[in-house]
Amino acid sequence: MNTKRILIVDDEESLRFTLAANLELEGFTVIEAESGSHALEILKAESVDLVLSDIRMPGMSGVELFLELKKTIPEIPVLLMTAFSADETIQKAIHAGVFAVVYKPFDIDKILAVLRRALKRPVVLVVDDMETVATTTAEALRAVGVRAEVSFDGNSATEMVRKRSIDVCITDLSMPDMSGVELTRWLTSEAPSVCVIAFSGASNNEQLMREAVAAGASRCLRKPVDPSVLVAAIASARGIQN
Amino acid sequence: MRQRQIITKAPIELPSRSSALRITKLFDERYLGMVVKVDNLLARLMIAQWIAGIAIAFLISPLAWAGKEAVLHSHVFAAIFVGGAITSLPVFLVYRAPGSQLTRYVLAIAQVLWSALLIHLSGGRIETHFHVFVSLSLLAFYRDIKILIPATLVVALDHFARGLYWPESVYGVLNPEWWRFLEHAGWVMFLDGFLLYQCVYSYRELHSHCEQQVALEDAIDSAGKMEKLAAIGTLAASVGHELRNPLGAIRNAHTYIERKLNGEELAPLDPKLVQFFAIITRELDVSSKIINDLLEFSRPREPDLAPCPLKPLVEESMSLVPPRDGVTLVNDVPESLPIPDVDRDQFRQVLINIIQNASEAYKPESTGEVRVAAKTTERQGWQIIISDNGGGIAPDIIDKIFEPLFSTKVKGTGLGLALTSSMIERHEGSIDVDSTEGQGCMFTIQLPPRSTGGAS
Repeated sequence: MNTKRILIVDDEESLRFTLAANLELEGFTVIEAESGSHALEILKAESVDLVLSDIRMPGMSGVELFLELKKTIPEIPVLLMTAFSADETIQKAIHAGVFAVVYKPFDIDKILAVLRRALKRPVVLVVDDMETVATTTAEALRAVGVRAEVSFDGNSATEMVRKRSIDVCITDLSMPDMSGVELTRWLTSEAPSVCVIAFSGASNNEQLMREAVAAGASRCLRKPVDPSVLVAAIASARGIQN
Repeated sequence: MRQRQIITKAPIELPSRSSALRITKLFDERYLGMVVKVDNLLARLMIAQWIAGIAIAFLISPLAWAGKEAVLHSHVFAAIFVGGAITSLPVFLVYRAPGSQLTRYVLAIAQVLWSALLIHLSGGRIETHFHVFVSLSLLAFYRDIKILIPATLVVALDHFARGLYWPESVYGVLNPEWWRFLEHAGWVMFLDGFLLYQCVYSYRELHSHCEQQVALEDAIDSAGKMEKLAAIGTLAASVGHELRNPLGAIRNAHTYIERKLNGEELAPLDPKLVQFFAIITRELDVSSKIINDLLEFSRPREPDLAPCPLKPLVEESMSLVPPRDGVTLVNDVPESLPIPDVDRDQFRQVLINIIQNASEAYKPESTGEVRVAAKTTERQGWQIIISDNGGGIAPDIIDKIFEPLFSTKVKGTGLGLALTSSMIERHEGSIDVDSTEGQGCMFTIQLPPRSTGGAS
């Protein structure tokens, strides 16, 4: 397997340098850039598999860099780092489909987990027996650059998970045959790296939600699901887990 | 589970319990100050009246006939001795016990007795009767209607009794009309009416001044606190941000070094090397936590609300609280409790903070439990109750526990409960605490019912 190339963009030299050194220990090839414009320069000549950028930098911010990269190399996952805990620009990046936002300071182990996940170019699986709902949800995700697939029942969902690189599964809870709760249970035991987000619009949704949480769902949403809430939930699931 | 109904409001609003105490204290001080001034005034007046009384006696009726000889009129003796008797006790009391209730009642009665004596000494002269009005008006300076009552009664009794048995002394004539005393009483009542009103009014006015004073002090205090908070917030934010990058670099460097130099190589050089690497990791974590608390406090995150069943969340929180010997954590949240919408990370932090505080309320070597229960009502939404039977919270600090930078612990930022209450507020909820020192503590978190549909 060829080594993956990672571009780290941060104006703080010590942070950038030490992070790069740690990633190289893990077998990655790391290129450093000290600003957004420097990064763009580099990317004209080199290709990378992932971009890890600080948000707050003089000149072009990390978010602006990400939006720029979406235009030129949209398939390359971008991770943003920040020391802020609350910022409108972070929200903007999330809603524009950044892979995840990680908060400094972070453990190297944790950032490695996120990096490896991102490098697989994972896909979100939307499962709902109501085909229109599933399709429109997937469309909404693709519109912001999040790769998504659909399944219309639990069983074909399990097939998908076996075949494709799925890291997040968004499932309706009330489905015939294999229910959402059963699917969650299956995923928790057979594919534990998949993060399950359960949603339900049924009238007895509370009981189903409790069962889903007990079965291993990391988050519940009520239908109708706001696409931006969903995108944020996906980014959060893909980020560093506390 | 305890079912206490009386709950103290978390003092993010004005603490009215301690305000009432301060108002009372301020009022008592001011009232006493005023009373002492009036006591002194009346005491001096009393002495002046004595001198005036003797002068009047000498001027008007210095001599009388005793048979064929001229002797000093009895009025002179009355002025000196009766006057002296009336004056001495009150003046003594003002000297020894100014401001006491006894002093002012004695002064009141003595004052009207002086009116009576002066009337007598002037031979029932009409104009001297005006002194009664002067006396009663002076007594109104006490702003206390209870003082006027015995004074008025003494005036009435005196006029009635002397009117019957010694009319020249009070009216100056031998045979006044039988209802004459009523005419005098009528005028006194008339004056009393206004004086009573004035007493009540000025008493209340003094009280309301004190209330305003305390409110003003509270407002200044609270403005000062807000300024302090704003300053802390700004400082915390900038310090926190600035520290995160250096911390990140240190951590990364440390991780790299740890990886390159494994324990087997290091230990023979110096066993402390391995230990110190662990220390660096641990203290970096502590630093991160402090910075996170500071930043969370100064730049709070909007909660990311999602349906989150409470029982598993409480379970998770309990598992993250450092265990203490002898303290059992009990999760009494019903399985079927309706699911609230909360920010899972923030609410978990809230629960951890409160449960940990409750667990630490037990002195080492004692046993007890921390119990978390919850219920919902349609109108009020969710109520989550965390109770313990530990040391409780002293009444003089219970109003302050949610204030930032307030802590009874030696270590720590003092932000834990302040953060907790601000996180709850951002969920549009509230938190109250109820505690008796020595008997434990009960925190109640209230979350509003969901806007679409009810909680039940």
